[in-house]
Amino acid sequence: MTGGFTRRAVLAGLGAAAALPALPARAMSLEKIHAAGVLRVAVYRDFEPWAWYEGATLRGIDVDLGTAIAKKLGVRVEFRDFLAGEDVDEDLRNIVWKGPATGGTLSDIMMHVPYDRTFALRNDRAVIVAPYYREGFALGCGRDAGDCEAPPVQFKGRRIAVELDSIPDFYMSGSFGGALRSDVTHMTSGMAALDAVRDGKSDVAMATRAQVEHALAKGGDTLIARKGPLPALTSPGWDIGLAVKDDSRDLGDRLDTLIPELVADKTVGAIFQQYGVTFRPPLAS
Amino acid sequence: MKRILRQTSILAGVSALLVAPLFAASDAAAPAPAAVETANAGPNDADLMNDEKTPDDVLTYGMGPRAQRFSTLNQINTDTVAKLVPAFSASLGGEKQRGQESQPLVYDGTIYVTGSYSRLFAFDAKTGEEKWQYDARLPDAIVPCCDVVNRGAAIYGDKIIFGTLDARLVALNRHTGKVIWNKPIADYKAGYSFTAAPMIVHGKVIVGNSGGEFGVVGEVQARDVNTGELVWSRPTIEGNMGMLNGKENGITGKTNATWAGDQYKTGGGATWLGGTYDPDTNLIYMGTGNPAPWNSHLRPGDNLYTASTLALDPDTGVIKWHYQTTPHDGWDFDGVNELIPFDAMRNGKMMKLGAKADRNGYFFILDRTNGKFLQATPFVSKTTWATGFNKAGRPIYVDANRPGPPTTEKGSTVFAAPAFLGAKNWMPMSYSQQTGMFYVPSNEWGMDIWNEPIAYKKGAAYLGAGFTIKPLYEDHIGVLRAIDPATGKIAWEYKNKAPLWGGVLSTAGNLVFTGTPEGYLKAFDAKSGKELWKFNTGSGVVGSPITWEADGEQYVAVMSGWGGAVPLWGGEVAKAVQHINQGGSLWVFKLPK
Repeated sequence: MTGGFTRRAVLAGLGAAAALPALPARAMSLEKIHAAGVLRVAVYRDFEPWAWYEGATLRGIDVDLGTAIAKKLGVRVEFRDFLAGEDVDEDLRNIVWKGPATGGTLSDIMMHVPYDRTFALRNDRAVIVAPYYREGFALGCGRDAGDCEAPPVQFKGRRIAVELDSIPDFYMSGSFGGALRSDVTHMTSGMAALDAVRDGKSDVAMATRAQVEHALAKGGDTLIARKGPLPALTSPGWDIGLAVKDDSRDLGDRLDTLIPELVADKTVGAIFQQYGVTFRPPLAS
Repeated sequence: MKRILRQTSILAGVSALLVAPLFAASDAAAPAPAAVETANAGPNDADLMNDEKTPDDVLTYGMGPRAQRFSTLNQINTDTVAKLVPAFSASLGGEKQRGQESQPLVYDGTIYVTGSYSRLFAFDAKTGEEKWQYDARLPDAIVPCCDVVNRGAAIYGDKIIFGTLDARLVALNRHTGKVIWNKPIADYKAGYSFTAAPMIVHGKVIVGNSGGEFGVVGEVQARDVNTGELVWSRPTIEGNMGMLNGKENGITGKTNATWAGDQYKTGGGATWLGGTYDPDTNLIYMGTGNPAPWNSHLRPGDNLYTASTLALDPDTGVIKWHYQTTPHDGWDFDGVNELIPFDAMRNGKMMKLGAKADRNGYFFILDRTNGKFLQATPFVSKTTWATGFNKAGRPIYVDANRPGPPTTEKGSTVFAAPAFLGAKNWMPMSYSQQTGMFYVPSNEWGMDIWNEPIAYKKGAAYLGAGFTIKPLYEDHIGVLRAIDPATGKIAWEYKNKAPLWGGVLSTAGNLVFTGTPEGYLKAFDAKSGKELWKFNTGSGVVGSPITWEADGEQYVAVMSGWGGAVPLWGGEVAKAVQHINQGGSLWVFKLPK
């Protein structure tokens, strides 16, 4: 059991043990998906460039990839965007295998699930398959906001933006003896942090590499990316894959062959390119 | 097995259709004749304030604004309680059997009680026959952060008011169950919910906030009881702006006094359990939740006003005083627990006091006129995080017991007690005006905490914490304790195998009532702690019992229906509760004629 030990984590865990008689409808295996003619795909809410609403349109890399998967399976796609829980373990429980205590429908596939053996063993009611990207953290700076390559401790006095309660937050607020803590502005997402730099409201933003590249591609030429590594950053990066319920292994197996097909026919690369993100193959593939 | 599951989910679908109408009234009776209406305009502010002294009704959560949960009734007493039998039981029905943490209200021959999943029921107080039922239409795919429970309603005039899982406040006509007004108090899409019982003071509904996306700031709101419109709001974290009648009304505390940078904008301190009110001092007492982020090393300072009790002006929301039970919390010692106002002799003089049994394991006595710290004594057997409180009212920390900063190393495991579920969780204690004792439902558990480097949040690498909750003793977790507020000494204790998760009631019959997850409602001798009576309700009792009198007979009522936060914990705690069945019933008892 892992997670922040806040009340929210406690309660989020309710779904795990609730002997709720009203079980959510069970996710369908591949055969049932074909029969129903629809693939239900879950994406994170407010998660640019992976999934976000632009007006009334849900778009993003995960959205386009989910659409491509459904097309390959020959079925219609139906998306739901969900609020991230306290950790991905909780998301898997609510979205993929158990459902929340209030009931509701499970999704056939959850996008953007870390592909990590230790993590997967801990969440054995879900099956994590088909890694499709290698993610990591990066830094974006305002073009005229000082040296982006300087040791971060020298960012003292500059306006630093990060997503609240993320590794970039811990890195900027907690490293270097907390020297930068008072300079940190907390945002609701990594993209919001980068947008603040693009808009000149912050000087430096730390976010995921995909977010930094996407922000650069948005134009305006006000942003640059740090080229050098971030000292004392311990996260080596991580692979991203897909999750299905443990009784949907046939769907999981199909996804394991389907994603490489979509990579091979350049579909994946084209999707990433559309959002300004360089497709980085997962280490695990 | 698969077929059974399929059927269950089909049934669930049917039930969802059935609750779709705004109210599924079984007997949407026509409103009472006008003449009766005039004679019975319903409870007003004075009636609510006087609730402690009117044993023929229960108008407030806590059986009085001070929430002492004490009744002057004594027909049921240490001599007669053994004969107590059920008068009736009423099922909430449906498939939504989980977690009945509610306290019923009794007025005008009707018992009003909320059920889990945002339901409200009106039952005939003599027969248990259902008068009407209201099922809130919950949006699809809500994921309330805070369980599906509801702790009770408030009554005022022709209205009965309660909060829903999608963070709305709903006022129903108490005769018909029809909606009078229905207001969102927060955005359920951002994870906000509402599970506490509202409180009504000076014609205003006082509510806190619960849940919310990480980064919420706690808030107290006052809304016009007739319209649901906001009158004032008061954030609980320093640096945030309060409002009164649509205008700014000053920031809370002093910006950046106890928080670095912009951390106060997302500092936590949710007010998810509601509060108490003292007519003597004209103050609302509201407890606040733990700070965010959870790891204390990321937010040096006291982090005011998290893990605190705040005293607020009921008309403006201005904070009159605060006392912080856990400064710079690092263990999730939420400070939401109720402060119960009571008057007692102290050092030779009568004083206006307040008592609070905190998650952190200490029983606090404060001067409720000014928040001055008077005493803190442990009410559980083990508190590893502090050795006590100094005279200034600050904890004497055990630094080695504070969980470490987030790192990529798994590092050492810290064993801390109480566990994050608290020495006392939400379940309300009682103060007996007869014995002068507090009766506190507590739990004996601790937790192992370690850094969990392999963690992920919103699809990204994260540095998390792992934890395991552990009972301290093999034969019991729950302990009901009688505490002398003059000394903090424990007069007696009753040990229960499963964790206690229900409220307590004391009466002038020298009795203390409380429920157990094993399904019993139990009565104890308030002076000696001797168990005098028990009755098994068929599911775990996690609600708060009440008592009232009608036509010369004393009644006792409690909700039965296992749930709440306990059932999910693995390991040894699960062993104590894993065989408990779900339920959802109101049970009412009286003495045979």
